Amino acid sequence: MADEPPSILPDPLTKELRDRLCGVVGDAWVIVDADRLLAYESDGLTAYRRTPRAVVLPKSTDEVSHVLSILSQEGIPVVPRGAGTGLSGGALADGDAVVVGTARMTSMLSLDPDNRLARVQPGMINANLTKAAEPFGLYYAPDPSSQSACTLGGNVAENSGGPHCLKYGVTTRYVTGLTVVTYDGEIVELGGFGRERGGYDLLGVFVGSEGCFGIATEIEVRLLPKPEGVRTLLAIFDRLEDAGTAVTEIMAEGLLPAALEIIDGPTIRAVEASVFAAGYPTDAEAALVVEFDGIEAGLAGDVERAVAQCSRAGAREVRTADSAEERLALWSGRKKAFGAMGQIANDLMVQDGTVPRSKLTEVLGRISEIGARYDLTIANVFHAGDGNLHPNLLFDRSNEDEVARVNRASKEIMAVCVEAGGTITGEHGVGLDKRRYMSLVHGPDELDAMRRIKWVFDPLGRMNPGKVLPDGPDDGKEAP
Amino acid sequence: MNPVADLLSQRLSMAQVVDGFETERWAICGRVPQAVVFPESEEQVAEILSLSSEEGWHCVPGGRGSWLQGGQPPEGVDVLLSSERMNEISAYEPADLFIEAQAGALLGDLQRATSECRQWLALDPPGGGRGSVGATLAVGTAGPLEAGFGSPRDQLLGATLVTGDGRVLGLGGRVVKNVAGFDILKLVVGSWGTLGMITSATLRVHPTASMDRTLLFGAPDPGASAALASRFAQAPLPLAAVELLVPGDEESGGGASRPLVAVRILESEDAADEAERLLAERAGVAPVQRLEGEHSAAIFANVGAMEEGSDLVLRLSLLPARLPELVEITSQLGGLYDPSAGWGMRLAAHAHSGVLRVMIAKMNRGEGWADGAKDLLSDLRRSLEAEGGSLVVSQGPPELVGLLSAWGELGPAGSFTAGIQAAFDPASVLARGRMPQ
Repeated sequence: MADEPPSILPDPLTKELRDRLCGVVGDAWVIVDADRLLAYESDGLTAYRRTPRAVVLPKSTDEVSHVLSILSQEGIPVVPRGAGTGLSGGALADGDAVVVGTARMTSMLSLDPDNRLARVQPGMINANLTKAAEPFGLYYAPDPSSQSACTLGGNVAENSGGPHCLKYGVTTRYVTGLTVVTYDGEIVELGGFGRERGGYDLLGVFVGSEGCFGIATEIEVRLLPKPEGVRTLLAIFDRLEDAGTAVTEIMAEGLLPAALEIIDGPTIRAVEASVFAAGYPTDAEAALVVEFDGIEAGLAGDVERAVAQCSRAGAREVRTADSAEERLALWSGRKKAFGAMGQIANDLMVQDGTVPRSKLTEVLGRISEIGARYDLTIANVFHAGDGNLHPNLLFDRSNEDEVARVNRASKEIMAVCVEAGGTITGEHGVGLDKRRYMSLVHGPDELDAMRRIKWVFDPLGRMNPGKVLPDGPDDGKEAP
Repeated sequence: MNPVADLLSQRLSMAQVVDGFETERWAICGRVPQAVVFPESEEQVAEILSLSSEEGWHCVPGGRGSWLQGGQPPEGVDVLLSSERMNEISAYEPADLFIEAQAGALLGDLQRATSECRQWLALDPPGGGRGSVGATLAVGTAGPLEAGFGSPRDQLLGATLVTGDGRVLGLGGRVVKNVAGFDILKLVVGSWGTLGMITSATLRVHPTASMDRTLLFGAPDPGASAALASRFAQAPLPLAAVELLVPGDEESGGGASRPLVAVRILESEDAADEAERLLAERAGVAPVQRLEGEHSAAIFANVGAMEEGSDLVLRLSLLPARLPELVEITSQLGGLYDPSAGWGMRLAAHAHSGVLRVMIAKMNRGEGWADGAKDLLSDLRRSLEAEGGSLVVSQGPPELVGLLSAWGELGPAGSFTAGIQAAFDPASVLARGRMPQ
C-alpha cells in the first residue's frame, strides 16, 4: 500500500552458503538475482511486498531436510511458500529470511483407491489431485476458490476452506498424515491413516499452523467418492436481507446443501460489467447459489424444498440447472466475482470474517453502514451457509487518504464479526495482515498458549517469523 | 478427613469434597483417589488445580465416572475432579447449528435437547449417551458414525480448558470456519485430561435426516462378513456407518454365531431406497433385516454400549481394505479368554476406518496370565505396527495394562509430547502417566 516502504533488497547470501545450498538442490534452484526474486515479493494479497534474500526450491523431503539443516546452522529464518496464492501475506519473507518453496515438489506419491487415500508432495496443485483421483470415482473435497493454482501444502498450512465446506468440512478433516521437516532439519511423521497410536493430535495442530511449525513435505489425504448427482439453483433477490432469510430457512428446513453462496448487488454489477458477465440481473441486490449433491434419487426433493424456501423469502426468480453446463453457468458469476472486481478497481482488500449464520443479515447491514461512513465501495461475496463473509473493499493505492480509510474500515469490520460471536478469519489465515487483529478475538492467555505450542515445534522462533502471533516488529501498526 | 480432602474442603464447601470409602467408586484404573471434588464453576476448577500445583498433588479429571477403567493408568491419583455438578446446557442455537454445554452434561441429554429441533450430534463414542461431553472429548474415541461425519475432533468447535496451573483458556469458537491462530483446540481432544480439565464445549449439531435406516446383511462366517463390510465401505455412497458385528460364542442361543454387517443410511426416503438397492446389488443378497427410525438408532446405540462389562477391550487397526486380515488375526487371541464366561469374545469393526474392537468378557487368569497376555499382545502390536497399523488397549485389567501400556511407542513425534504438556501443565499435576511418551 501507499505507506508501505519501498522494498529494499536484503543482503545476498554469501557465496559459501549459496554453494552449499546449490550442492543440495542444484544451481538452477537457488534463486538470488533481484529480477527473479521479484516474483516472490508478494502473495495473493498484493498490498504487502517484501523481497526475500533468496529462494530455494528443493525436490524431496531429504532435500528440504538438508536445506533447513544448512539454514538453521547459520541461524537464517525460513519462510515456506507454496504457489503464493494466499491472501494474508503469510508467505512473505522479511529481513534476512530465505524462502523455501515447494514448486518442484508436485508428484503424486501414491494413490490407493481401495482405502480412498492419496499421498502427495506439497507442491501438487489442489485441482490436480481431484483430476488424478477422478478415474477411480473419487475426489478431494476441500475446494478453495484458487484450487486451480493453490497447492496442497499451502492448503495444509492455511487449513483452507472453500464453497463446499458447508457440508464437507475444511482441510483438517481430510489430512490423515504428514511428513514434516522442522527448522533444524529433523524429519517427523505425524498421524497416518489406519493406525491409532494415542498421543496428542500433532497432526491436527500442525494443520493451519501457517508455516510457523515446519514444512510439510508429504501429505496423506482422504478422498471421497464422487457424489452420484449434483443439482444447482440460483435465486435472485431484490433485497440482500431476503437472501439471508432464504439461507436461514433452507437450513431450518433440515436441508444440508453442499454449498450456499451469496454475491451482493455491487458484486453482481461488477461481474456483469466485466468480461465475466454471467447474465445475473444488474438491478438485483443478491444472487444466492444453492447446490445439493448426493444420491441422485434424493436430490429432486431437496431442490424442490429449497426453491420453495427461496420463493417464500421473496426471490424474484429461481433458476435451476440439471446439466453440468447449466450448472457452470449458474456458478460463473460467483466464481468470477474476484476477477471481475479486479477490473473495476485498482486495488482490493478482501476481508474474511466468520459469523454465526443467524447473524449474517445484521452483520451485513453493519458492514454496509461502515462502508458508507468511510465513503468506500464494499462488495460482498460470501459462503453464507457457514457464515464466512468476504467483504471486498475497493480502493486505489495511490490515494493515501483512501488507504487509511480502508484500514480503519477493515478493523471495524473485524470487530463487528467478533462482537457477533464470530472470528477475524474463516479461511485465509492470519499471516502478516491479521496479526494486529488477533487480540480482538483472543485474550493474552490464549495467545500465550499458542506461542508456547509454537515453541514446541520451533524453539528458536525462526519458522516463518513475524506471522500469526502479534509480537513482531510490525505489531500495532495501523497500515500494512 | 485426610489432609488432601481437608485442605480442599477449606477452599470449597464440605459437600463438594468426599474422601474415605466414598471415593472407591471413583477408582481410576484400579487406583482409589484420596479425595474426589465436585467443582461447580471453572473458577473453582482453576482454584483446585492451582492449589494442586502448589501442593504437588496428582490430579485426574474423571468426568461423570463412566469411563474410569479406560486408557493408561495415571501414576497417582490424589484428587479426582468430577464434572458431575457442571452439567448444564449453556446455549443451543438451532439456526447456527451449535450447542454449548458444560463438561459434565451427558451426551444423552444433549441428544434429547437437540432432537426437539429435529437436530442431533454425530457423536457415538463407546459408552453411548451416558458419557459426558468432557470425557467424550478428552478420550476422543470415535464410533461407527465417523464414517459419515468424522470423529469427535471434527464435531468440536470450541472449548474452555482450565490448565494445570489454573489458567482458563477459551479455545476455538462457535463457528465452523475459524483459522484465527494455531488450532490448539485439536490438542485437547484425546489428551486424557493431561493438558487441563475441559469445563465446557461447543459442539456442531446436524439436521436430522428424514430417514434413519439400518440394513443388516448376514454372512456365513467372520471372514466373509469382513469382506462384505469392506465392499460396502468402498461403495460410492454417502453412508453414515458400516459396522461389522461378530457375536461371541454364547450369543446366538447355542447355535453357530452368525456375523452381521450393519449399514446405516441417514438420507431422505428416496435416497435411502436407492442406496438400499445399490447395496443389495453389491452384496449379491438382500438384507436379512431392515430397521427404521428409532429401531435403526437403537441398534447403533447397542453397538456403542457393547463394550460394557468387558474385562478387556482391544482396538486393532490396519488400513480399512485389510479388514478381513484383521478379523483373521483375532483367531490368535483364543488363549486369552474364557469362552464359557459371558459372551466369550466378540468383535465389532468400523469398516471405513479399519478399526476392529475386540471385546473379551473374562480373561483367563491362570498362573502367569498377565505376562503371557502381555507377550502375546506385544507381538501382535509389533506386527501390526510394522504394517502401519496399531493395537490399543482401550480398557483392561490394571495388572495387564501396567505391563503392556495402553498404546505403542510414539516414535520421533513423541519428542513433542513433553513440551506440549509443559505448555499447559508446567507443574505436571495432571493425569501424569496417562499419555504415551
